[in-house]
Amino acid sequence: MSKLSKLKADRRSILKAGTAAAGLLAMPSILMAEEKKPKEIIVRAWGGAWGDALKAGVADPFTAATGIKVRMDFTEDNEIKPKIWAAVDQGRVPPIHVNWDTTTNATISALRGATVDLSDLSNLKGLLPSAKPKGLEGYPLVNTYAYVYVCAYRPEAFPDGPPKSWNVLIDPKFKGRVALYDDGIGFNPISVLVGGGKLSDIPDHMEKGYEFYRKLKANKPLLGEDADFTTWFQKGEIDVACTISVNAREAQQKGINVKWTVPQEGCKVDTDGLWVPKGLPGNEEYWAKEFVNFALTREAQQKWCSLLGLPPVYPGIEPPKDLVGDPSYPTKPEDFKKLISIPSPVLVKNQPIWFAKFNEIFQG
Amino acid sequence: MQSRNSKNIPASWKLLDLAERLLVTIWPARLNKYVGWGFLLPALLLVGILLIGLGYIIEYSFHELDLATYRLKAEYSLTNYHTFINRPVYLHILGRTMLASIIVTIITLILAFPYAYMLVRTRSAMMRKFLLIALFLPFFIGQVVRAYGWLIILGKQGFVNSILTSIGLPELDLIYNFQAIVFGLIQYMLPFAILLIIPAITSISEDFELASEGLGANWVSTFRHVVLPMAKPGLVGSFVVVFTLTMTDFAMPEILGGGTSDFIANAIYDSFFQISNPGLGAALSVLLVAIGSIIVTAIFYFAGTGTLGIRQKTR
Amino acid sequence: MRGPVSKKLILWSLVWFSIITMSLPTIIIIGASFTSGEMIQFPPEGFSLRWYQRLWQLDDFQQALLRTFYVSVICTIIAIPVGTLAAIATVRYRMRFQKTIQVYLLLPFTVPLVVSGISMMLFFGEIRILGQLWPVGVALCIINIPFMIWSVSASVNSLDPELENAAYNCGAPPVQAFLTVTLPAVMPGVITGSLLMFILAFNEFLVSLFLTDSRTVTLPVQIYNSVRSVITPDLAAVSVLYIVFALLAIWLLDRLVGLEIFLRSK
Repeated sequence: MSKLSKLKADRRSILKAGTAAAGLLAMPSILMAEEKKPKEIIVRAWGGAWGDALKAGVADPFTAATGIKVRMDFTEDNEIKPKIWAAVDQGRVPPIHVNWDTTTNATISALRGATVDLSDLSNLKGLLPSAKPKGLEGYPLVNTYAYVYVCAYRPEAFPDGPPKSWNVLIDPKFKGRVALYDDGIGFNPISVLVGGGKLSDIPDHMEKGYEFYRKLKANKPLLGEDADFTTWFQKGEIDVACTISVNAREAQQKGINVKWTVPQEGCKVDTDGLWVPKGLPGNEEYWAKEFVNFALTREAQQKWCSLLGLPPVYPGIEPPKDLVGDPSYPTKPEDFKKLISIPSPVLVKNQPIWFAKFNEIFQG
Repeated sequence: MQSRNSKNIPASWKLLDLAERLLVTIWPARLNKYVGWGFLLPALLLVGILLIGLGYIIEYSFHELDLATYRLKAEYSLTNYHTFINRPVYLHILGRTMLASIIVTIITLILAFPYAYMLVRTRSAMMRKFLLIALFLPFFIGQVVRAYGWLIILGKQGFVNSILTSIGLPELDLIYNFQAIVFGLIQYMLPFAILLIIPAITSISEDFELASEGLGANWVSTFRHVVLPMAKPGLVGSFVVVFTLTMTDFAMPEILGGGTSDFIANAIYDSFFQISNPGLGAALSVLLVAIGSIIVTAIFYFAGTGTLGIRQKTR
Repeated sequence: MRGPVSKKLILWSLVWFSIITMSLPTIIIIGASFTSGEMIQFPPEGFSLRWYQRLWQLDDFQQALLRTFYVSVICTIIAIPVGTLAAIATVRYRMRFQKTIQVYLLLPFTVPLVVSGISMMLFFGEIRILGQLWPVGVALCIINIPFMIWSVSASVNSLDPELENAAYNCGAPPVQAFLTVTLPAVMPGVITGSLLMFILAFNEFLVSLFLTDSRTVTLPVQIYNSVRSVITPDLAAVSVLYIVFALLAIWLLDRLVGLEIFLRSK
């Protein structure tokens, strides 16, 4: 046996072993793979509990299965967007391989033509309908789970039980101890409702919401990103926040007494997704898509989403024990009744305007 | 004869001769009056890169963002400049930036002057060395690291608050506000200011102070009427540097301001990267450069270039 | 210094206030880096080297550190000839447009860093070199080149032009005169300038923020990104690295040219 064929045999056995490690992930594309493996792929992610979950649930198993290192880039979601756009426009290689993004931002990038079509991914079949992006041809992105912007609070600060209304955010008792996302994301539709408006006022009559923002500003809220909420709860810097349940749960798991609730006005529910930017070298694009495909397998969805504590798009996965029946883990139609979902096209058109207005009020 | 001689000549000389000959070929003697320009050329080209980039910014600033495609429209317009004027938030941010620049500059100069004075006048070489090191250490440590240090000190459960609570006092809100930014900036600017005041004080002979005191002036009036006026070049220089650096700062408002006390630089960054509107960001950039240049030109016009000017000695 | 007690008291208390303000973050960071707790706090929760150990294992930080070295070296290597020649030219040669040249060469200082960063991001993007590492070094050289020119021009100023004339009169050709008279005389300025260029590039953050991505991220940007997400004590350990480099730079500066060089009058 010549050296060459031995080498080939070795390579084949390595491939086999790799596939075995992937278990029943059923990635026939890997068997056929002639695409050269890149040394690493870069996945933009959110930090804190989010990044940890992606690493343990998707990135590490992907590395184990393929041998490709996954590097996480914690550039903010809004910031990576123009950088990718510029790269795509100028024909440069984009700074990342896979973007873990809000569905709204991903849709904007798709409309701008910066995304690669993912329709041919083998694991799309059988996912819940929410995996398919609304108002777009094919799959320029794929949604991976839903989440709720809950009202998280410290029970010590609320001896009479959980806050009943979002009005608690403007209660002077909590001045300087309330927190929101720094662009108001997740609270934009709620502000209209708690300010006395109706759901039908969105998106054309947001004034009541802006009025509420002005009152909220007087209460000196802290503004931050995902990981900030966890840190603030950990350090006891806030009593109540509008944040995704993941961040509150992370503080809880670090031994801090934090709970969350859906106040009477409801909470916003939304989805996140994954997408691959245009302009990558062929083999890197291939493996970036494989990464997305991998994230849609049952195993990855199970681990990733249970770590996050969010309902995945893969059907039939049981919620983590601590979240059975929790309002932040909606699965049945009646769970969604208390939650507010703004259609993606409305968000795409209006969210940038809401962000600008939020910024204007809180900087003013 | 010739060959024996050349054997004794060290290699470095030969190299030197070669260099001389090379120079004559590429730079003939008749071009000698342009030697200065030749020396300058690389620097002019290097800074030219910046100039080209500024050209792009100016060009971008005249194109409005098309919200349907998230691209800048092809036609020229003044929309971005109108946005600046019509949106109170930008004027507000500009006002905040200016206010901070004035406060930071004044306090920094008040602190920097005695430091520079003592550094120059102290009789102890040890003390001088210590003051120099205390000055250079922060100067050589970047802004991000220093802002991070202040986060640890001023944070809700930071150094200061843990002292306060341990002696039974309530916690204070020391961070994520305007004061924290101003404080962080003063600390950041102090080394710059001191370094620019030092040469001015060095050039004041101590005899002037002695003379003033000999004539019966106390030290306060000596300071007011002799030292400060004579140190004016240093004060002007550091005023300009501290003022412009504060006015254009990004990291301190970003890290210590917690997102609620942005300066213009943060607004520019956000235009580009938060709301994906490079046209607006470019317009804000142009305005920032314009405002800064006007202020600096005015100061130079009324007070001279101070320690910032490059002194000339021609042959 | 001489003078009454009140003068000493007032001036020294201001000086000590400045010293504490300038040094406190440094001291606190060093203290915090040795904590054994999970969170940054002061006083630290027990003593340990675990965060330094962790740093040693963090690939990302090591690579960022290497990249930072790389861009700082590029910045310094370009700055030495460019800045030295420019300084000699501006001080020694009578040229037309003298004022304009001075203003032009000071552009990197008068243009705000945030604007310089965006300018070069746009330009480098257009010529398709954005996303590579070496342009970052060039950019850092551009924004700091006035420091180099300043440092060297101070040395040129203190060099008596008669020395160069003497060399010419003794028949030294231009290159020899330049290498044996001019260059050695301006060497302290070159050394000071290069050290400044290196350490400033090593610390530069804002322009790098615009020009790097996750493939090319440098240490200051990496620290900034981490400060914005989760503040863990490993950051304090990285920061101590910076403090050590700063001390090293000061020591070098003192050894090579003496810190007192900054005490010269203008």
